Amino acid sequence: MRIVFVAAMAIIACAASPLAMAEETKTVVPAEAISEATSVCQDCHGPQGNSVSATFPRLNGQQADYLALQLKNFRDQKRSDPHARAYMWGMAAQLDDVTIGGLANYYADQKPTQPQTGGALAAEGKNIFMDGVDAQNIPACQACHGDHGEGNGVIPRIAGQHATYLKSQLEAFRSTLRESDVMHANTKDMTDSQIEALVSYLAND
Amino acid sequence: MPDRRIQIRSSLVLTIGLLLLTAIAVPQQALAVPSYARQTGLACEACHTVFPQLTPFGRVFKASGYTLFNTRKVQDIDQQKHSTLSLSDLPPISAMVMASTSISARANDSTSSKTSTDFPQQLSLFYAGHISDNVGAFIQITYDDQSGSIGIDNTDIRFADIAVVDGHDVIYGVSLNNNPTVQDLWNSTPAWGQPFISSPAMQGPAGGPQIEGAMAQNVAGLSAYALIDESVYAEVGVYRSALQGASVANNGGANNQIISGVAPYWRVAYEKDWGKNSWEFGALGLYAALQNPTTPAGAAINGSLQNAPTDRFLDTGLDTQYQYIDDANQITVTSSWVHEDQTLNASYGAGFASTNSDSFDTFSLNGSWFWHREVGGSLGFTSVSSSNDPIYFGTPQGSSNSSWGTAEVDYLPWLNVKLGLQYTAFFKFNGAASNYDGAGRKASDNNMLYAYVWFAY
Repeated sequence: MRIVFVAAMAIIACAASPLAMAEETKTVVPAEAISEATSVCQDCHGPQGNSVSATFPRLNGQQADYLALQLKNFRDQKRSDPHARAYMWGMAAQLDDVTIGGLANYYADQKPTQPQTGGALAAEGKNIFMDGVDAQNIPACQACHGDHGEGNGVIPRIAGQHATYLKSQLEAFRSTLRESDVMHANTKDMTDSQIEALVSYLAND
Repeated sequence: MPDRRIQIRSSLVLTIGLLLLTAIAVPQQALAVPSYARQTGLACEACHTVFPQLTPFGRVFKASGYTLFNTRKVQDIDQQKHSTLSLSDLPPISAMVMASTSISARANDSTSSKTSTDFPQQLSLFYAGHISDNVGAFIQITYDDQSGSIGIDNTDIRFADIAVVDGHDVIYGVSLNNNPTVQDLWNSTPAWGQPFISSPAMQGPAGGPQIEGAMAQNVAGLSAYALIDESVYAEVGVYRSALQGASVANNGGANNQIISGVAPYWRVAYEKDWGKNSWEFGALGLYAALQNPTTPAGAAINGSLQNAPTDRFLDTGLDTQYQYIDDANQITVTSSWVHEDQTLNASYGAGFASTNSDSFDTFSLNGSWFWHREVGGSLGFTSVSSSNDPIYFGTPQGSSNSSWGTAEVDYLPWLNVKLGLQYTAFFKFNGAASNYDGAGRKASDNNMLYAYVWFAY
């Protein structure tokens, strides 16, 4: 049953032990409370974070630290791309750090979606992902995102994500619509066809 | 949003608003949005391309029973920790205003004016949002300047939940509503189809299929539905007469268009989303046997509601909707076709029809494009054709055959304020392009220029 989002947050907050609160992204909270909280998230991100709509990123298997950082950025209105404003500023407005930790751990623990890759375009994308493009100062994605695009800490999992979402984020980094100095530097010289190739290698749609 | 854009918008709003209706106080800042946005914390664009057209997420929000919630609540639980109360600390109330002015090509008759100003054309209050954890509502109460009264308008109260079945997301629920298709998720069906607003002075062809608004607000429908993987939709339900301002149980013989028993309704649809695109195909239908029917010509039977003959209507429709949505462009194309078989045992028996078997077909094709949800417009074409029955339809030409096109330009200074200029051109009206009334009136005499302001907050 869908329960009050705010109430769920409060339950999670109350359920968290002092020890767990000290290490917020490792907070252990009752499964029941998580279920109540994620019943709100799943309206867009799907059960277990495996969203149906490509408008909303898959969260299943995403890095907990990345999820926690983004949720805090949404809550504190530090991430201001249009979709962040339209959707997540409101949804994250009442989250506290303990709740964010519980949600981040929940989605990180879900089985990730694997990439569905193949074909010449994906092969070109794999080359960019593994080796980068020196002539355009595009570094190898795997250097930060991992050999299999699984991410690491605050570096997100990108493998198995929706193609449309990945593409829109790369374009947003390139145009600075989504602000990140590192990712803007990595994508500013990327062509549309290179983005298509990279997405073809990484995504599952 | 750059300040300059806001300044430009403000000045344009002031100018156009004054031209439209000087009495309207146009908001200078988008400080308030309707109750769904307040309830969820989501901006309008999450659910709408441009209101009232829904995005794929808007369809999910509606199917989920309008219950997505993200603000403080008053709540209670029982000993088993089940929720027994879940109230918003602020009621989900919204208001909507439509005001307009219309100019027709030629006055409707020798005593009427070519122009009409409507302020308000419509003023609505909504309870729109969460009732409990799994129940939500869209309830509209409207003052309409044509009737000069306040009454119930479109209403859809839902129970909904979500389950994972064999790996598939299934949103399922029940809708209690008062207008067939008001509960539908797409803008290609009658209740939420184009045109979303039109002149109250506009002439319309004689009659129309039951499913296209003939029952609106005078029925109660209960339907069960499921949306699987945000793609496959199925719904079945029944409608009963629930008259406003009258009771079938008392003085029933004085009432008209009463559904005998229940009127079954069904709907199936499939939506494919890819990238920024979505495409829906669907079919729908309604069967109604009406006691004490009223014909399009206006002839009414006022007899017994017990064992009396009925006029029976079987509506079958197909619809499709394509959408492309990105941050800059919002494109929606809809089309629908509805066929109605009419078995007019009651009207024919009373001498109000020249046969007991008539039919009706409607077709519409509409497209809208908006840029940054700020400026845009739409083009539409509608065709109506009926069998030939001068007694039943009450037209000199014998049919309702009509066709018209609509062009509209819109400006939205904010997402909850729309200014529109619409032109409707009739190519054929009630059976003819010229002299359709036998007195020399042309279909194009009904052409209408219509300017409006429409906002919700």
